[in-house]
Amino acid sequence: MSIKMSKDKMELLSIVSSIKEEEPELLSTRENEVYLKISESRFKDIYPSLAERKFSLTGLFCAEAFEKKDGLTLFYIFKQESKPPVLILVRELEREEKAVSIAETFPSASWFEREVRDGFGLEFTGAFDTRRLFLHECYPEGFHPLQKAFKNGPISTAEAPCTEYRFRQVKGEGVYQIPVGPVHAGIIEPGHFRFSVIGEPIFSLEIRLFYKHRGIEKLAEGKTPSECVPLAEAVSGDESMANAAGFCMAVEQVCGINVSERAERLRAVMLELERIYSLLGDLAGMAVDVGFALVASPFFVLREEIFRQNEKLTGSRFLRGITVPGGLKKDIPDSSLKELPVFLGRFSRTFESAYDRAMSSSSLIDRFATTGVIKKELVSPLNLTGPLARASGCPADTRLDRPYGAYRNFAPEPSMRKKGDVLSRFEVKADEIRASVALILSLIENLPKGPVFAESTGYAGNGGSSEVTNNSGATGYSLALIEAPRGQNLHWVYLKNGIVDRYKIRTASFCNWQAIEHAVIGNIVPDFPLINKSLNLSYAGTDL
Amino acid sequence: MVNPLSLFFHPKVTETFEFRNEELEAIGAKIKKEIPKVFGHSLAIRELDSGSDNSTEIEISNLGNPHYDVERFGISFVASPRHADVLLVTGAVTLNMAEAAKKTYEAMPYPKYVIAVGDDACDGGIYKGSYAVLGGVDKILPVDVKIPGNPPSPKEIMQGIFALVKKARE
Repeated sequence: MSIKMSKDKMELLSIVSSIKEEEPELLSTRENEVYLKISESRFKDIYPSLAERKFSLTGLFCAEAFEKKDGLTLFYIFKQESKPPVLILVRELEREEKAVSIAETFPSASWFEREVRDGFGLEFTGAFDTRRLFLHECYPEGFHPLQKAFKNGPISTAEAPCTEYRFRQVKGEGVYQIPVGPVHAGIIEPGHFRFSVIGEPIFSLEIRLFYKHRGIEKLAEGKTPSECVPLAEAVSGDESMANAAGFCMAVEQVCGINVSERAERLRAVMLELERIYSLLGDLAGMAVDVGFALVASPFFVLREEIFRQNEKLTGSRFLRGITVPGGLKKDIPDSSLKELPVFLGRFSRTFESAYDRAMSSSSLIDRFATTGVIKKELVSPLNLTGPLARASGCPADTRLDRPYGAYRNFAPEPSMRKKGDVLSRFEVKADEIRASVALILSLIENLPKGPVFAESTGYAGNGGSSEVTNNSGATGYSLALIEAPRGQNLHWVYLKNGIVDRYKIRTASFCNWQAIEHAVIGNIVPDFPLINKSLNLSYAGTDL
Repeated sequence: MVNPLSLFFHPKVTETFEFRNEELEAIGAKIKKEIPKVFGHSLAIRELDSGSDNSTEIEISNLGNPHYDVERFGISFVASPRHADVLLVTGAVTLNMAEAAKKTYEAMPYPKYVIAVGDDACDGGIYKGSYAVLGGVDKILPVDVKIPGNPPSPKEIMQGIFALVKKARE
């Protein structure tokens, strides 16, 4: 094999070939990605062994008309803890062929498979949950928007709801249900919660989301990468920067574009600013939910000040419209960057005094400790990531395990707690704010001068492994993993002649939402808002 | 660890901040003056997300943070549409949310007003042409005021609320 391989990647390959005595067909490889083509019969042998070897399923998605193949192709993304390369098993399916469900071995597959089924109409045999996911009752039977045959445009909705969504039934003496949503009492996004309770304690919770399904993945089809950036930014408001950067990284990998060091560092500065304001919102929200305005107010004040810093740096409070494939649309003025260290110094003093006040309140600790526990055992099966996993004793952080951009040279201080309760999440999030402040300070120190945009325009690329066809742009696919404030986001881009053919986004929230059904069990209903806030999951980022 | 008694003897955390935005104060004062002429003592707003990307929600909740604190101008965000004068709708209306959005509007008592906040709520924004959205909020509800922006800043939202209060008086 002519392609150079790292030790980790060789190890992945040897694991797969040891499972079945047969050399796997290597489809392609890139930095930290290995694509293996797998037949149906071999796949059935391989996935249980991967589960035994403690691989977790971080993504599963489908693409139609991939490479030269007509029909559907499934991509299974497997990852080993704290090892940078990911193993992507590619299964090409014949027309009308069904796929085998792996949800019983990898529970995180359940939502992925339902998502693929809704989008492409692909059936999974042996699946334990075959309800619709993002297409609610109003969508007609047999409608699968991600099929290439469907041209995007308004559709006529089902006149009478054809399939009523069935919630889990919990029956017994004294059991009653509390339906909440989709419109909630506060200023938050829509989603439905169905609690089954016995007295005060929650016995079971079922969440139903996707009320905000806007069809982002279909909208991306046929657009140029630059046109897609606003869509990536709209995945979730407070992850605008992370998703834009993730999308751009995937495109840059396909096209072989090298981003300048200045642009990479500035991107990292903005990613950390986004992390700070997101996490500040969580800390403030948690304080509000236990009625502690004296702590919440300074957090809110600092959060607003970060928004204003964002505006000074980029012209947008949400850091929008600055990231483009190839670097940044415009440079950040040095005068605004010089202000940052002064501001952050003041920031830290206020932050610490508010944090101390929070931690010295016995009533706050009483509400936080032992509430909403997420056990460590859940992290791998459900593919939980981000501060939520780190508060449950799993140190995974994409910035450290699989460094990208400026994080190759600048690493954040890791943070971890073991108890997995609300208090642990509060502490981890506070630690991460401190780490981000320190990281920003070192990123802007001795910031190199120079251009912020790679000159090789047209996404034609200048080298790399992508093939360039009739000068119209690159063809190829690549995966970018990026650590957003809520955890690891996945961006997979497939370009055909410089045009986006398939864009798959999986945010941390998509996986992390499933933890809440476990975290609330045995807790009382009034603690639900607090548990929900401590996880602070994105509805928009899940619904897409 | 902070000595709890220090809470009584030391200056409060918030006292060290200095922020006062004259422009914001001016809009606030105008709204405060107009509200009693139409709505009684305060303006009750119910926020409804019909498919936004959440940035507009963040800006609307920012109206309550100590920098803006719009409650002092007589604007309050209420938990139920039955208590609301105004429905503040964000996001292009998704097919999945259309039914719930209509029901929320129907639950409001008369007279009732609708403000569309953000580009997506105004005309569908970047989701125009998607199978999953109906378009702007005016596709299903009578919209009185539109506030464009991606997302609009808290100040722009305040100006939109003022425009509505003025319109309601006419």
